[in-house]
Amino acid sequence: MSEETIDAEFLGKEGANVTGFSRMEAAYGSGDGDEEATAAVASSSNAEVGTIFEQIYRPWNGTLNTRWVRNWSILRHHIYGMFSSGHRPWGWPVRISLLVLLLGSMNDLFLSFLGNATGVEELSRLFSPSRENLYAHVLGFFPRNVFCFPIAAALLVGGMISEDRKNGTSAIYFSRPVNRTDYTVMKFISVAILLSILIVGTLALYYIGDLVLSGEGWAYVLDTFPLFFAAAVAGFFLVFTYSSIGLALSSVSRGKFFPAIALLGIILGTKFIAFLISQLYEDSIVYLLSPYDCIAHLGQEMMGINSTYDHPYTWSLVAIIVMNSISLYVLTARVSSMEVTRE
Amino acid sequence: MSRDNVVETINLVKSYGKHIALDSINLKIKPGATGLLGPNGAGKSTLFKTILGLISTTSGDGIVLNHNIREEGAIIRSKIGYMPEYDCLNPDLEAIHQVAYSGELLGMNPSIAMQRAHEVLEYVGLKDQRYRTLDTFSTGMKQSAKLACGLIHDPELLIADEPTNGLDAAHRDFMLNTLNQIVNQGGRSLIMASHLMNDVERVCERIVMLHKGKLIAQGKIEDLKAIEREVEVHAWGGASKLEERLNDGGLKVRRTGRVLRVVHVDDSTYDQIISAAAKSGCQIRRMQDHEASLEDLFIRIMETLGYGVKSSEQLLENNPNLKHVDAPLELKNRGPLQ
Repeated sequence: MSEETIDAEFLGKEGANVTGFSRMEAAYGSGDGDEEATAAVASSSNAEVGTIFEQIYRPWNGTLNTRWVRNWSILRHHIYGMFSSGHRPWGWPVRISLLVLLLGSMNDLFLSFLGNATGVEELSRLFSPSRENLYAHVLGFFPRNVFCFPIAAALLVGGMISEDRKNGTSAIYFSRPVNRTDYTVMKFISVAILLSILIVGTLALYYIGDLVLSGEGWAYVLDTFPLFFAAAVAGFFLVFTYSSIGLALSSVSRGKFFPAIALLGIILGTKFIAFLISQLYEDSIVYLLSPYDCIAHLGQEMMGINSTYDHPYTWSLVAIIVMNSISLYVLTARVSSMEVTRE
Repeated sequence: MSRDNVVETINLVKSYGKHIALDSINLKIKPGATGLLGPNGAGKSTLFKTILGLISTTSGDGIVLNHNIREEGAIIRSKIGYMPEYDCLNPDLEAIHQVAYSGELLGMNPSIAMQRAHEVLEYVGLKDQRYRTLDTFSTGMKQSAKLACGLIHDPELLIADEPTNGLDAAHRDFMLNTLNQIVNQGGRSLIMASHLMNDVERVCERIVMLHKGKLIAQGKIEDLKAIEREVEVHAWGGASKLEERLNDGGLKVRRTGRVLRVVHVDDSTYDQIISAAAKSGCQIRRMQDHEASLEDLFIRIMETLGYGVKSSEQLLENNPNLKHVDAPLELKNRGPLQ
């Protein structure tokens, strides 16, 4: 097309259209070699003049790994996401809240450190890992089972499955060779690991930290280790139960808020109602409705602490099994109904 | 079953209680690009889930990429790239990490998945946007990101469910070119479900049509369109007489006002039309071959509701719903003239 016939203006120059040719100045004020400078363009003979993007299909001949590598990637995605970017994007409010709760869960370690550092024997004895202190670390109602553990569980399970439903990301999982059992188990383990760090991890830190700080010997370890072990087992009961109830709630929802609030409602609401009723009728049987109290009852039995409940601990054990069974049933049923083609 | 087919099913039935979602489907999808057509509720989604080995079939059998859909679902899914119709991306994740994660879920090593994610995102035109979170993406960019997730492991078969849904002209053009290139340059097979006939016609050489869970047509688009070949005649002064005479002459005619469509039997059809016009005293103002578009074919087949429709004989059954012709707008506006 001749320049005379062009009815166009480009960069103030009449009669010039955008041709796709370009020339780049190396830097402001640079003149050396500028007359010879040319833009880098695609070299393919098929590419149009001025094209800088050439679409070429590149095959991939690698091999895919086995089921366990796929499962590991799900676990890694959720756990690493808490600490680094590029994985599951946990929000900053969640991360900061969990950090605060983690530090709050370690207050007995700080007090133990204070006792050992000051050399005051009464303080040291008060905060050392005794039967009651180990129980309190895991199952003490106030403050850990009011503020720390239920809130942490609610923050963790909130969007774990419900967001896959909401965003349709379940299609990314199930259109790949990931079966629903693996998906559910890996999500469960992800929540359980993070919750375990908070509950059992801080228990271990407290126990080992105090051992190191106080410089106790093997006899002390042999004496207290069964108590620590029982507290850890009780802690895993707590982790398992909170995870199963929380994930069941997450699986029936499409948002973060409902599962989180519902979990807090179940844990704290049942406890509160059971407390009121037991005060009225002086009967602890209604505590069987409260997941926390059932585990606390079990923990008391396992650690040899005087029970605060009237009914047999086996009833609490059965109640826990029933609660977990119902939760896992709801969880598996809802995950089975998750769609690949639409949600 | 033939090993030449990418997907093959024999009497495949899937029912949910009393509702039959797929009814004795005998499907043969060859390598290359195949369009899957059907109205809502036709069974497209159920077919996809069956192909992916996600749901158990009620009866019948199926082979996808030489693997049995009943027993080898996981292997099939590792060889298929699936691009869902609906949102399937985590809005808070960066595109590069979403695509890499979708590769890791297939069993790719994280470093290899990341490397490949860079490649496929560049391929789908998102090289410069790959570090942006997906909630900042436009619909077109999200579709491209979904395609990248499906392509990360270089699948033998790509299933694209409504790939051009919600795209503007430029993005639609790019998406269709990309799908074309995957088939022609990459040598991969494609099953593309779409409501847009032009898109299917542009990318696919074969189609499969479903209706109410039944397979109503499958094969090459050109071959299927051939059953619809007609001669369009614009008549003046005695169109009804011309129609009558053509019918008497053994030709099948559809008419709306002054426009007639006559089924093309062979080259003598033109002579027969001219002869009939001369005898009936009708003037022919225009006569041309009418090549049906895929959309015409789709509408016609759906209107017949004839399951197992394969021939023009069946398509041109005396159904009052078929007694209309897509007349030019200026003629339509004038109304029928007898």
